[in-house]
Amino acid sequence: MVKIRIDDRLLEAAEGSTIMDVAQAAGIDVPHFCYHPAFEPEGSCRMCLVEIEGAPKLELACSTRVKDGMNVLTSSSKVMEARKEILEFLLAEHPLDCPICDKAGECRLQDYYERYGRFDAHFREPKEKRDKMVSIGKKLLLDRERCILCTRCVRFLREVTGTGELGVFERGARTEIGLYEDRRIDNAYSGNLAEICPVGAITDTDFRFKTRVWRLERGASICPHCGRGCNIDIEFRRMTEDAVAEPRIFRVRARENASVNGHWICDIGRYGHPYWTENRSRFVLMNNDAKTTRLSWDRALIILSEKIKGLGLRGKGGRLGLILNSFLTNEELYLIGRIFKKAVDLGNVWFADPKPQEADRLLLTAERSSNLRGARELGFESRPPDLEEIVKRIEVLLVIGSGLREAFAAGEVRKALDRVPAKFLFAAHTGPGDDAYDFLLPAALIAEKLGSLTNTLGLVQEFQPVWRPPGEARPEWEVLADLARELGSGEAWTDLTSIREAMARENPFFRKGHE
Amino acid sequence: MSHGFTPGVLDEVRAVAARYPRREAALLPILRVLQRVSGVLGRAEEELAAELLGFEPIRVREAVTFYSLVRQKPEGRHIIQICINLSCSMAGAGSSLASLQTRLGIGPGETTPDGRFTLLTVECLGNCDQAPCLMVDDDDHGRVREEQLDEILGRYL
Amino acid sequence: MTRERPGLLDLTEHLFEFDIYRSRGGYEAARKALGMLPDAVLAEVRDADLKGRGGAGFPAGVKWGFIPRDGGKPVYLCVNADEGEPGTFKDRWLLTHDPHLLLEGIIITAYAVGAHDGFIYVRGEYETAALRLERAIDEARAAGFLGERIFGTEFGLEVMVHRGAGAYICGEETALLESLEGKRGDPRLKPPFPTSVGLFRCPTVINNVETVSNVPRILRDGAETFRKLGRPGDGGTRLFSVSGAVVKPGLYEVPVGAPLKDLIFEHAGGLPPGRTLKAVIPGGLSAPVLRADEIGLPLDGDSLFRAGSMIGSGAVIVIDDGTSMLDVLGIMTRFYAHESCGQCTPCRIGTSWLHKTVVRLASGNGNMEDIDEIARVASAIKGRTLCPMGDAAALPILALVTKFRTELGSRVEEARVRSGSW
Repeated sequence: MVKIRIDDRLLEAAEGSTIMDVAQAAGIDVPHFCYHPAFEPEGSCRMCLVEIEGAPKLELACSTRVKDGMNVLTSSSKVMEARKEILEFLLAEHPLDCPICDKAGECRLQDYYERYGRFDAHFREPKEKRDKMVSIGKKLLLDRERCILCTRCVRFLREVTGTGELGVFERGARTEIGLYEDRRIDNAYSGNLAEICPVGAITDTDFRFKTRVWRLERGASICPHCGRGCNIDIEFRRMTEDAVAEPRIFRVRARENASVNGHWICDIGRYGHPYWTENRSRFVLMNNDAKTTRLSWDRALIILSEKIKGLGLRGKGGRLGLILNSFLTNEELYLIGRIFKKAVDLGNVWFADPKPQEADRLLLTAERSSNLRGARELGFESRPPDLEEIVKRIEVLLVIGSGLREAFAAGEVRKALDRVPAKFLFAAHTGPGDDAYDFLLPAALIAEKLGSLTNTLGLVQEFQPVWRPPGEARPEWEVLADLARELGSGEAWTDLTSIREAMARENPFFRKGHE
Repeated sequence: MSHGFTPGVLDEVRAVAARYPRREAALLPILRVLQRVSGVLGRAEEELAAELLGFEPIRVREAVTFYSLVRQKPEGRHIIQICINLSCSMAGAGSSLASLQTRLGIGPGETTPDGRFTLLTVECLGNCDQAPCLMVDDDDHGRVREEQLDEILGRYL
Repeated sequence: MTRERPGLLDLTEHLFEFDIYRSRGGYEAARKALGMLPDAVLAEVRDADLKGRGGAGFPAGVKWGFIPRDGGKPVYLCVNADEGEPGTFKDRWLLTHDPHLLLEGIIITAYAVGAHDGFIYVRGEYETAALRLERAIDEARAAGFLGERIFGTEFGLEVMVHRGAGAYICGEETALLESLEGKRGDPRLKPPFPTSVGLFRCPTVINNVETVSNVPRILRDGAETFRKLGRPGDGGTRLFSVSGAVVKPGLYEVPVGAPLKDLIFEHAGGLPPGRTLKAVIPGGLSAPVLRADEIGLPLDGDSLFRAGSMIGSGAVIVIDDGTSMLDVLGIMTRFYAHESCGQCTPCRIGTSWLHKTVVRLASGNGNMEDIDEIARVASAIKGRTLCPMGDAAALPILALVTKFRTELGSRVEEARVRSGSW
């Protein structure tokens, strides 16, 4: 370890770290464009120049390694002058697009100009004219006039995805970023490019022109689409003044987590945000002779519990069927185990999950659900549903989640369900074939409830709700707690903490520290 | 994959690549050969170079667009490079250039309609004691006076 | 062309032919060196105070000393023959007329630092030079002076000519390495320096043609003889490429520290009749200009540096009263804008900005404030760039607009009047 000073603060640093490493760890902001913690230092933007006592010239914070006793000044007059002049160079050849540029409000050039710039512009010459709407990928547009050639995009595609679709062509002021012939950016992580671009050169057509970033609310959550459990920020607006109004989701961004997803998320999670709001199930419904009526939760739960208790009167047997899914949280799966252990023969529990696909060497796991590992740790074996078995044995079927709809054709499901006396669907999304169920109960999604998920590597991540469930939708764990009470289990699960405590008591895996 | 090149050319570029401890280093020499053979460096040339050297064609194009002597536009049979840097300008490169433009009827960067000459203005050619100087293809011509231009051009058909 | 004896320049005809070179005692210094310990060879060159002749002027022996011994990685030697500094043609002469001298220097240098592969990076325009070198390599190999077991010793060395493709920036050592590795010639961040992380990430010595060409005579005559020819800390003689408004432009060899005035007025014959001296650029276009009254300087690195300029590549460009300094400024700004690699903000945008401004001034659309603005922009580039080319652009432009501000002001005004925009 070495000791250095940055702006009169005495700091300890590991040998071999850069000034930027030390500054970032200490919460000292050194402005930069081309530097990114995920890449080797590039040193080309020159924005991070700082003053080192005893050195004749300003040096780069991003690439200069600290030495014991080094004294760094990040705000001396020489440094401030350098920053101003670098900004002036950048703005000289930068179009004044702020009024129409998506990046406004989260643009480094704007932010730094606000803080360190503020000068009379002296550049009188004609600016370079370049292409402004080059489609470089399925949802990406490149504006070459805005590009400051930080090369983060080029380096991301070379070092992270290894796909190398972008290159640097020409030299001098004619230098530009571009594709090769018709080979476009076509990988599962392309959306990260718009995030890492420090200015509005690469924009995302999924977000383009839809709103201003300062109007967005942001909530931290976990992406549910695979077993990685990438940390995300969901950015949304409530379109009315009503605080309980349903949100309109504008985008999903990566939230940095060194133990899970690093700095990135994949395009499935990023562009899969319609999942949170489209086709949501909002009301408790009963289907009866081609009529659909609304019910209260209380009523529905009484009916369900009586159906279940009714089976018990005819002797314990394989009459109750549960089709679960591995998007359910640890607490929910645990509760299910507690409630139905006695009532359900293990042979009558199935998991309707998306088909596993190829894992990639980055974030995407083969399993395309968020809590498969949690289900395993809680003792569940995720057998896919067998419609024939269900028809043969099951009298009361509780389907949790949308998996059945995705695994089988609607006609097949309907045919099977027609031969099951009582069937309940407890899912967040509506879809074709819903009318085949007797009762529809609306469920909440991860961003609408409390809980925890176990990712593919065994890391348990807790999360908080970002907005309320739509309509009458409720978190599964709450409904299950009510059901437990109705079934007369004698256990009262009043809040999530009590569930967690019980889970930890019973299962050592859930005793360790959580994220 | 031959990319449309003759076995002789393929052998030549392979031999160039083999001379280096790491084959990537052979990029510029290979581009030189391909430019001589094809006249321009287009997609076929880039893909051949990429395949031989073990990297993506985009890296080849990065180099092709960076270097001044590597050219992508079709050109004349003979390339005239006239230096317009300091010593040559002081010695009258400006009037030689004007003279050439008049004689050939083209401006810098252009090719005569009959495809004979491409005229380029360039920076210092390292021949400053022979100012004003120019090159036609690989030949140096120094202390070029206007009266000599016809004769010099006449050597290149 | 003249030289002091003993000198670097040897005017013997057909010296590029192996037999002629040998008859002049060629390759004997290499034989002698290979009979010494490598460290002893290195010490000799270090004691000779041989400074790099490419432009940076770093002591060659000191640089060689940074190469790790037994580092586990191969050591490479690169000779920088990318001579692109405007006004410079000394390396062209050496390569074309005395290629064996360079090869002999390469053998000794490679032996001293433990390199077994040498690359001579020749600028793409030097066709004859490259062909002469390739032929010389073939001849040397045939004689057993290159390849395995040179002079019957354990030392082996392969040398290749590698042609550049038209980029001034590839004369910067790390850009040269990038180019040699098959990429764009974008300079690298330093540190790390090429002696630790160089070609293919291995320790590499990069020296200029003239620097390496001096090595045989150091071994032949001894460090002290070489050192004493020059000044303390800066030994030997230097080749000066003299061009511009002189009667006898050409290559001249004088001892380090010889008077600049003598070079211009005695060796190069002074200015043509009817012309007076206005300015001298002493070290290639990137060396800050000297006014006519400032040329009473000795030709050594320290003296020129203290005078606010530099010895650079030793290219002396003489400017007379018939040349407009606005034209000179135009050539400078155009050159640096064209040659900028484009990586770093100040150089990429600054050199283009300067060029655009001067174009506007020359077309009659500027005033004195623009001259001051040029100084301001050049100052903003200075000291802020990724590689030395930023300063190579900023310093001479700054010197020109400072020292010739009045003339530039009148030229700009003349242009306005001529263009009718008044």
